[in-house]
Amino acid sequence: MQKLMINGQEHNLDVADDMPLLWVLRDVMGLTGTKYGCGIAQCGVCTVHLDGQAVRSCVLPVSAVAGRKVTTIEAVGEQAVGQAVQKAWLDHEVVQCGYCQSGQIMSAVALLQEHPKANDEQIVNAMSGNLCRCATYTRIRAAIKSVSQA
Amino acid sequence: MKVFHTALGLVAGLLASTVYASDTPAMSKGEYLTRAADCVACHVVPGGKPYAGGLEFKLPFGSLYSPNITPDKETGIGNWTDDEFVDALQKGVGKDGKHYYPAFPYTSYTQMSREDILAIKGYLFSLEPVKQMPPENKISFPFNQRWGMMFWNAIFASNERFVPDSKQSAEWNRGAYLVQGPGHCGECHTPRNIFQAMSTGNSLAGAELGNWMAYNISSDAKYGIGAWPEDAIVSYLSKGYAAGFGGAGGPMGDAVEHSLRYLDPADLKAIAVYLKSTPARSEGIPRPTMAVNDAALQKGLGQKLFNDTCVACHQIDGSGRQSPAGGLAGLKTVNDPKGRNVMATLLEGHTPTAARVDQRMPDFARSYSDAELAAVSTFVLRRFGQSDGEVKAEDVAKNRASALH
Repeated sequence: MQKLMINGQEHNLDVADDMPLLWVLRDVMGLTGTKYGCGIAQCGVCTVHLDGQAVRSCVLPVSAVAGRKVTTIEAVGEQAVGQAVQKAWLDHEVVQCGYCQSGQIMSAVALLQEHPKANDEQIVNAMSGNLCRCATYTRIRAAIKSVSQA
Repeated sequence: MKVFHTALGLVAGLLASTVYASDTPAMSKGEYLTRAADCVACHVVPGGKPYAGGLEFKLPFGSLYSPNITPDKETGIGNWTDDEFVDALQKGVGKDGKHYYPAFPYTSYTQMSREDILAIKGYLFSLEPVKQMPPENKISFPFNQRWGMMFWNAIFASNERFVPDSKQSAEWNRGAYLVQGPGHCGECHTPRNIFQAMSTGNSLAGAELGNWMAYNISSDAKYGIGAWPEDAIVSYLSKGYAAGFGGAGGPMGDAVEHSLRYLDPADLKAIAVYLKSTPARSEGIPRPTMAVNDAALQKGLGQKLFNDTCVACHQIDGSGRQSPAGGLAGLKTVNDPKGRNVMATLLEGHTPTAARVDQRMPDFARSYSDAELAAVSTFVLRRFGQSDGEVKAEDVAKNRASALH
């Protein structure tokens, strides 16, 4: 039995210790906003927040997050920074196919929470682990910049 | 005077029994000691049956293969008597008087008592016999003359059991016994002299092992483990990492995987207590300060590759993302001017089965060229270390050819 704090709510789940957090979120809890990409922490699609830090949920065993706060794309809009990023994403029409965008937004929010005035270099460094096969990178950067300069 | 001697004998006896005692209800004493001695590290080939041997040791003068130590009567040690087994571990002389080469760490195992050695034999004999003949050794003349080892043994092999130091605590003595005897730490961590014997005046000062560096683990605060808290040493030995201090990769990762993680926490603490009291050796790679160097953030191949491939687990500040095991800052590995273990980890990966999935790393030998691996290694050394290290493409090419795994 795993005791998890997901999006502000406590859950007691009967899942194996080594089940990846991503499986728990999608298959057990039905939180399908977080996507599965590569499964080896190389693409960033599955990014969620663990105590505010962007982590790859596909390689994170659920036992490693017990007692820590998990936030997913479903609840990120409840935070001011999350809201601002989501609005910027719409304003800049960032999304093309959209598959990677949950992960992009989670990484962007984690960055802006730590560095509200993130500069270009910080943006590149923080976002470079998130791949986008539609290559929306320039719009992603512009959207993040609009929040960091606001 | 006689009373005094009797008392001394009693004290020594008590110490001895504490030193050799192991209270592991889950595991027999024999199995525990077999784990502590990490016999399986050498007596198996990747994917092979444990203890059936066959692992190749490439030496400057030829190749040795580890023998089968399962109780098979024909190809293993099923016909060995107690005395023969004890002689093998204490004197380096096997059945029929065959002298071993010191690739077999009898120079350390000799510290073990007959009782402990026979417990190991008992465990090995409880295993399923495996019929598997090890390949013939290919050693060139004159090194193929095993009797020549007699002279080497006379000078370098002590054939002496561990004697507890009555001035030290039982815990210290237990640690010393585990480190010097079954654990045979010095076989990799003590540099060897020109006769390939462990250099006693330089014990635990660190040595090269294939593509890897076995670091200085003496008590020196800067070069050794003297500044590591006991907890960090215990974490390193039991989990394979201690955030900000070290991560066990390559052969040391194997030692954690097959041996150290099975030891009692009390025994691991005893090892820490003993290591922190060993003679300080100020040589090798100094520990870096926990810092990141922003000047290293320069547009180029190294930073690009790090951002593409490494940040998902290590982060640009080297703090580790999913797990503290991914932390790079503070590790000796990032302060080696030659970047040996950085290179070796990139080429061989880090995939102990006991490590959680967020603590494993794939190898990048097949994904990146020599120039790319050199660039990303150099970036890591400059970003997280202070040795101004550099790895060149030709270093990667050389190590790629001799990667252990």
